[in-house]
Amino acid sequence: MSAPATTQAPKSGRVLPPPVMGQEVVLIAVIAALWILLTIFTPAFLSAGSIQQLLWRLAPIGIMAVGMTMIIVTAGIDISVAAILMVCSVVMAKLIAEGGWGFWTAVPVAILIGGLLGSFNGVLIAYGRVPAMIITFGTANIFQYIGLKVFNSQTVNGLPASRDVLGPGAGGRTFGVSHAFMIMLVLVVLAGFYLRHFPGGRHFYAIGGNSGAAALAGVNVRRRIFITYVITGLLVGLAASVTIAGGTSTLDQNVGKGQELATIAAVVIGGTSVLGGRGSVLGAVLGALLVQTVSTGVTQLGWPSQLSNLFVGIFIIIAVGADLIREHRRRSHA
Amino acid sequence: MSARIAPTTKPPTPSTSAEAGDGQQGFGSRLVQTLLTNRVALLVILLVVVVALLMGLDQAGYLSAAYSPDYMSAALINLVPLAMLALAEMVVIISGGGGIDLSLGSIVSLVGMGFGFMYGIWGWPLALSIVLAVVAGALLGAVNGVLIARFGFPPLIATLATYYGYWSLALVSNNQKPISSPPIQDLYGLSKAVEIPLIGQQLPLLPKGIVIFLLPTVVIVGLLLAKMTYGRRLYAIGTNDVAGAWSGVDVVRTRAMSYVISGAIAGLVAVVNVSQFASARPDAGTSGNGMALPAITIAVLGGVAVTGGAGRTSGVVLATLLVVWLNAGILLAFSGNTGSQVELLALGLILVGSALLNTFTARKYSGAR
Repeated sequence: MSAPATTQAPKSGRVLPPPVMGQEVVLIAVIAALWILLTIFTPAFLSAGSIQQLLWRLAPIGIMAVGMTMIIVTAGIDISVAAILMVCSVVMAKLIAEGGWGFWTAVPVAILIGGLLGSFNGVLIAYGRVPAMIITFGTANIFQYIGLKVFNSQTVNGLPASRDVLGPGAGGRTFGVSHAFMIMLVLVVLAGFYLRHFPGGRHFYAIGGNSGAAALAGVNVRRRIFITYVITGLLVGLAASVTIAGGTSTLDQNVGKGQELATIAAVVIGGTSVLGGRGSVLGAVLGALLVQTVSTGVTQLGWPSQLSNLFVGIFIIIAVGADLIREHRRRSHA
Repeated sequence: MSARIAPTTKPPTPSTSAEAGDGQQGFGSRLVQTLLTNRVALLVILLVVVVALLMGLDQAGYLSAAYSPDYMSAALINLVPLAMLALAEMVVIISGGGGIDLSLGSIVSLVGMGFGFMYGIWGWPLALSIVLAVVAGALLGAVNGVLIARFGFPPLIATLATYYGYWSLALVSNNQKPISSPPIQDLYGLSKAVEIPLIGQQLPLLPKGIVIFLLPTVVIVGLLLAKMTYGRRLYAIGTNDVAGAWSGVDVVRTRAMSYVISGAIAGLVAVVNVSQFASARPDAGTSGNGMALPAITIAVLGGVAVTGGAGRTSGVVLATLLVVWLNAGILLAFSGNTGSQVELLALGLILVGSALLNTFTARKYSGAR
C-alpha cells in the first residue's frame, strides 16, 4: 500500500516493502544531522579514534538487537538478555582467567550457554504459553542468581590480554575497521536477508501480525517463537564475548546492567513495532547507532554523561511518535 | 457471543464440570478449583505455609536468628514501598492495552530528589513538601498517560522512554550526590517502628510507615477500584476498550488517569524512601534491579492479569506480604551475600510459577477471580 507504484509491478503478486523504509530514512537523516553538528561543535568527534571506538561499542548492542528484533517482530519481548549476558560473561571470564582456556575456545562455550538459557525462555513462552514479558522478568532473576553464584561474591581478576582480536584496540582492527563491528555487520546482512526473503523469516512477521491466522496458514507458530529466543540467546553469548574482549583485566558483577532496556530501545527506535508484525534489523542497528552517537556526543561535548539517557528517552518518543504518525496516515489513506 | 447462544437467566456457573452434578465432584477437585480460581485463598494458604515452614526451620535451629513476630513485624518496613508500587502497577495493568509502567523506579528517584530539595535544602514545610511530591509524581505519570492514552504509544515504549528520561534528570539534578541534610536525617522518625497505642504492650512494634503511608494508599486504591465509578470504568476498558467506548466510557481519560494515579503513588513512595534511608538518593528507585520490576512481579503474583481488566487490591497486598516475609526468612537462612542471591532466585521462580499458574487457570477454569 505504502510502496509507491514503481516502474514494474511485481507479476507474481508478492509485494515486499522497499528495503529501506520510512523509519530507516528518518534515522539515517537524524544520525547524519547529529554527526554534522557534533563535527562542528567538537573537533574530536570525527577523528578516526573516536569513530572506531563508537563502532566497536555499537557491536554488542547491535548483535543483541538482531535477535531482539526477531523476538519483537513476533510480538514477544526478552527482558532477560542482560542477565544472560552476565552469565555468559562470567563463565567465559572464569574459564579464561582461572581455567586457563584460550579466548577462542571460550567463545563457543559462551554462545552455547546463551543458547541454552534462551531455549529455557523459549520453552516457557512458546510451549507454556505465558506472556513473554512476565516470564523473562522471572527468568532474568533466575539467571542473575546463576551468574552471581558463578561470580561467588567477588570480581574475576587477571584476564590476560590475549583477547584483543575482538577488542576495541589496534589488535582488534583490520584496515581500521573493528572486527566486532564487522561480525555485527555480517549478522545484520544475513538476518536482514533471511527476514525479507526466506519463508521462515516471513513467518516471524506473520506470527506477529496475527498468530492465529499464521497457524491456520500452516506456520508452526510455537516452534518459530521458540527459535527466536534461542537465536537471541546465542547472539547474547556472542555479544558477551565482545564485552569480555573489550573489558579490563577485571570483570565485576555489574556486567550487562541495563543492556536489556538499551537493546529494546535500539529496536523500537529502529521502527519495530512492539505489537509485532513490523520491523527491520537494519532499523534496529541504526537505532543502536543513534544511541551510541548520542552518548558519545554528550561525553565529548563535556556535558554530564548521565544526561545522555535523557536524550535516549527523547529519541524513543520522537522515533516511535514519527512511526505512529506514519502508521496513522497509512491507515487513513487506505 | 456466548450471551447470544445462552439465553438463560441463571447466573453463570463457575465451570462446566460443576454442571455435571455436585455429587460427582470430589472435595479434592473442588478444593483445587477454588485455590486456582481464587487467588486470595491461594495466597493466604501459601502465606501460612511459608511462615509455618520458616518458624519450623527456626525451631530446628537452621536460622541465624529467631524468626519471631518481632522480626516479622520489623520486616514490614520493606512492605510499605513494595506494596504501594505493586498497587500502582496493578492500576495501570488493569487499564489494559498492554498496560505497564517501567518508569515508576525513576519517578521515585526523581521525586525523591525534588522532595530532598524542597524539604531538606529550601526548608519548605513538611506537609507542603509531601503534597507537592505527590503532585509531582502525578504530573510525571501524566506524561506517560498522555503519551499512551492520547497519542497511542505502546505503554512499554512510553514508560521505557520516561524511565530513561526521569532517571537521567534525577542523576543530574544534584550532580549524582544524595541529599542528606539535617531535616532529611530527622525524617527517619516517619518510618521507625513504634508501639501500637492501647493494645500495643503485648504486640510487636509496628513500623510507622504502615499506618501513615501504606494503609491510606490501600484503602483509597481499594475503594477506588471496587466501589467507585472510576474503578468500574477502568475494569471495563481493561477488559475491552472498544466495548467500553461504546458504552460511553471516555477511554482516553480513564486510561491516562491510571498512569496519573500510579505516578502519584510513586511520588508518595519517594517520600517513604527518603524517610526510610534518611537520605534522598538519585538512584533510589533505579539501582540494582530497580523498583519497577519487583513491583510488576508482585502484581502478577497477586493475580493481576497482564492482559488487563482483572486484579484485586487484597491479592496484591497479600502477595507483597508473602514476598516480604519469605525474603526476611531467606536472609536468616542463608548467610551473607547468598541470602540476597537466593532472594533473586525465589522471586524469579515465584514469578515464573505464578505466570504458568495464571495461564493454566485461564485455560482450565477461564480465569482467576
